[in-house]
Amino acid sequence: MKNKILSISRYLILAAGLIFFVFPVASAVEFSLRSYGNKGHTFANYSWIFQQDDFFTNITISLKLAALSAIITLLTVVPAVTFLHLDGQRFKRIFEFLAILPLVVPVVSLAIGAQKAMPSFIQNSQYELAFFYVVIAIPYTFQSLNVGLSSIPLKTLVEASRSLGASFGRTVISVIVPAMRSAINAAIFLAVTLSFGEFTLTSLLHWETFPVWITRVSQGNVLGSIALSMFSLLGAWTLLILVQTAQNVRKKRSLKSQIEENEEALV
Amino acid sequence: MSSLKESTTRKSGGFSALLKTLPLAPFSFVFLFFFCWPIFQIVKNSLDQGKGHYGLSAYRLMFTKPYMHAFATSLQLSFFSALTAGLIGAVVAFYVHRSSAGLKSTIAMLSGVLANSGGVPLAFMFIAAFGAQGGIVTLLKKMGFDIYGAGFTLYSLGGLILVYSFFQIPLMVLVFTPALEGMRNEWREANNSLGGSNFQFIRWVLIPVLFPAFLASVLLLFASAFSAFATARALTGGSVGLVPLVIGSLIDGNVITDQANLGDALAVGMVVVSGVVMLFYGFSLRWARGR
Repeated sequence: MKNKILSISRYLILAAGLIFFVFPVASAVEFSLRSYGNKGHTFANYSWIFQQDDFFTNITISLKLAALSAIITLLTVVPAVTFLHLDGQRFKRIFEFLAILPLVVPVVSLAIGAQKAMPSFIQNSQYELAFFYVVIAIPYTFQSLNVGLSSIPLKTLVEASRSLGASFGRTVISVIVPAMRSAINAAIFLAVTLSFGEFTLTSLLHWETFPVWITRVSQGNVLGSIALSMFSLLGAWTLLILVQTAQNVRKKRSLKSQIEENEEALV
Repeated sequence: MSSLKESTTRKSGGFSALLKTLPLAPFSFVFLFFFCWPIFQIVKNSLDQGKGHYGLSAYRLMFTKPYMHAFATSLQLSFFSALTAGLIGAVVAFYVHRSSAGLKSTIAMLSGVLANSGGVPLAFMFIAAFGAQGGIVTLLKKMGFDIYGAGFTLYSLGGLILVYSFFQIPLMVLVFTPALEGMRNEWREANNSLGGSNFQFIRWVLIPVLFPAFLASVLLLFASAFSAFATARALTGGSVGLVPLVIGSLIDGNVITDQANLGDALAVGMVVVSGVVMLFYGFSLRWARGR
């Protein structure tokens, strides 16, 4: 009896969750298909998106900035965290603390500071944004790399490689990077999604990227703005779900092959 | 920070030791130049009185009624949205935790996706659903519930809490679930075999054990709501006077005061509030781990 109540309430909660999350999405999709003057539903608002001259320009800018932040993350956060796990144990505490700090400082505050502190040759380049995106993402990228690396016996692997006579460069390329690949991928993924969606800092520094462009262009066309929003939300969700599913599948497969190898070794 | 790094390396021996910490250099440079330096600048600017004098007049203005009101509104929004999403998210996480592995991983994935979807598009989506002409509002009207007639409006504090829930409930599920993984089935069995009721189990075992982790998660939601900007700006324009929105209009020059560095003082104020919240977050996290 008790179990029955529990399972019924579980389904009720799941249903409520579904309603809360699915209804607004469905309702907004319906809205985005409306036409001015109530002339039935059309895809006109969606085709309007692609007729905008700036659509592709701004997507390209956002993609460029996302790629640049991925590269900067690779060159700054990845070496730092790797070092902390290899030789730099004594700095680990300090850097873990530092890596939380960008979460403490609201992005609005950072934006005001950025406007005051950056020399003009940096403020005049849109690529300054990528560096700030990297900083804003540090709490997430650092943490995800840190957690990912603590499950890999990196130090043992490196020592083994060096004692077998591999040079330092060789060790980095054929031991460290392959062992860290999935941890690095996760961090890069975080950096890319965060930079692609960043609005606060970008708009306060008066740059135009895809999210900022959406707000500007939607001021003249309500239905178009809803269509544009749904386009970017659904697009982002699909992409995120695809990447996560791919990661899960790979994880399962590597686990499975590991088990099979172990079984073979036993036989 | 750099002096700290230097002093620790010098202790352990000269130039070669410094060279060994080279992998930390790019990170430290970006962190110092694009994070610490701007923060230092807003603190300095907020104290700058011009002509080389420093003083607190910007802060004195910050502590007057309109700006204190903005802080109060921001805190109110953060408190209620964190509490609402925290309670609902905790219950959802609890039920998901007791479900099948398949459902668990699906919910975990969806939570990860939804927790990241703040920003302007989300605000527009809610305008389409819950705005005066929105689909859900018209549907409810046809069914006899005129929620706008009853005083609801999306462009208010309550509306913002509704919108924030959309990404804060999944965020709660995401950060609270690990705490549930630590629960043992034996506890319930022990409770039952000692004659405890379900209510007693929840009241005397579950809540005391999970409270620190719950508190930590809610504080994290609080901090995220406190500094959120894009959704609030797109949804309300400026009709709900939150601190980040006030700073935004100061930057854009929409609001003019004779105190040019008021924005810096407000920015420092936000850092202080959010710093205190994160400090308590750290404490409750330690408390939760001490269990």
